[in-house]
Amino acid sequence: MALDPKRAWIRQWLTFVVVLLLWEAAGRANLLNPLFAPSPSEIALALFGLFSSGNIWTHLEATFTAALGGLVLGIAAGIALGVVAALVPLIAELLQPVMTLLNAIPRVILAPLFAIWLGIGIASKVALAFILVAVLMFFTVFTGIRQVDRKLVERVVTLGGDRWALVRHVYLPSVAASIMGHLKVAVGFAFTGAIVGEFVAASRGLGYLISFAQSTYNAALMLALVMLIMAVVLLIFAASGRLEKYLMRWN
Amino acid sequence: MHVRDLTISYGDAPVLEGASLDVDKGRFVSLVGPSGSGKSSLLRAIIGLQKPLSGNVETGLARSQVGILFQDDALLPWRTARDNVALGLGFHGMHRREALQEAESWLDRLGLAGFGDRFPRHLSGGQRKRVALAQVLALRPKLLLMDEPFASLDAIVRARVVQDLVDLVEREGITVLLVTHDLNEALTLSDVVYLLSHGPRARIMQQYSVPIPRPRDLVRARTHPAFGPLYERLWSDLSREVGRENPAEAA
Repeated sequence: MALDPKRAWIRQWLTFVVVLLLWEAAGRANLLNPLFAPSPSEIALALFGLFSSGNIWTHLEATFTAALGGLVLGIAAGIALGVVAALVPLIAELLQPVMTLLNAIPRVILAPLFAIWLGIGIASKVALAFILVAVLMFFTVFTGIRQVDRKLVERVVTLGGDRWALVRHVYLPSVAASIMGHLKVAVGFAFTGAIVGEFVAASRGLGYLISFAQSTYNAALMLALVMLIMAVVLLIFAASGRLEKYLMRWN
Repeated sequence: MHVRDLTISYGDAPVLEGASLDVDKGRFVSLVGPSGSGKSSLLRAIIGLQKPLSGNVETGLARSQVGILFQDDALLPWRTARDNVALGLGFHGMHRREALQEAESWLDRLGLAGFGDRFPRHLSGGQRKRVALAQVLALRPKLLLMDEPFASLDAIVRARVVQDLVDLVEREGITVLLVTHDLNEALTLSDVVYLLSHGPRARIMQQYSVPIPRPRDLVRARTHPAFGPLYERLWSDLSREVGRENPAEAA
């Protein structure tokens, strides 16, 4: 049978609902241990509890601040370093091995180190989100500038453009295009950094809540938090998707 | 324009050695020759993208009065057709509003009225070529250099774009230097054809005058009595040149 790709979303949602219903039914029939696999209704209840008590806001705020702070700083630093490295060969020579090394390791292993250096406050989370994003952005911008189409450069030069014209009409738009292409990954990285940082040592934040749920064996709360984080990231993906669509409308 | 004793090298043996040629004002001149004979390098040297090893180029024109059209359209993908055409005008100090009006009138003249808001991605190959032409012609060059600009177009589109170009060039009295592989194109378009020898160390071998009167209709030019004999001469000279370097092909 041929599948109509336009209706894929119907099949996906239907399957999702069916799985939820089966899960719920299995829970009610006492086929699942509620301690390990709480039913969807219990997870929903836990999620509801987080919001109705109002507790969640301070944690959301902490995670958002750390993630967005790290994201903005990381993008700024990544772009600055990438541009400088692309323009000054000596800097590229010195920076590249460090960045390659940082890129090769799972950078979240730096979380405990940041906790020691910067304490259990927000700074250590911002730092982790920052380092995750900055390395990604460095390579994005560095290779973006180096791979700028030579033909476009020659075209602008032969039309009488000066250095500034090249930056404005060729380099910036090409680099913006490669940054846009990696923006979603950067958002994901920023939240990973913030949450893992909180997970390791914190007194606030979604990561802290997850580690709290783990220590109290509260699987329902943990799954509720996972759902919440998914919702948050999807929301930000949608926003950056719109931005990308607008800025890349020529594509 | 005069080229005197030009030698161009990319490190090893020079690709082009001691080339001299003259292009009279308002004339259409073509350069033909085997691949690797330094035809493109010669154009690049004339416009200053390639520094020659020795010799000199005298155009008697300001840099802004020389335009070049490459094989690739090299339009800025993030700019609309109109913005692309206005680009060079802006570089030469024209105010944006005026530049956009001027761009629109050039698009109009090249048969692209109503396409000004399209991004290059949403134009056909022939339309992009016309935009690239408008971009160069809008700067009102006195000398137009072309490096196989029509090679990527299919035959019918090519014939139409080229005829429009010839009409414009004849009307505006623009001097043209065209690099091409296509003997047919060279003879129907040009007043003078130069034949280059095989590279490396390519030289200018021969000069042919094409006595077909102007204004020219490119289809009728082929039926002019001078066309056939000239084509045969050019063809046998070129074949001998290719064969001299590559005996297998001559056999």
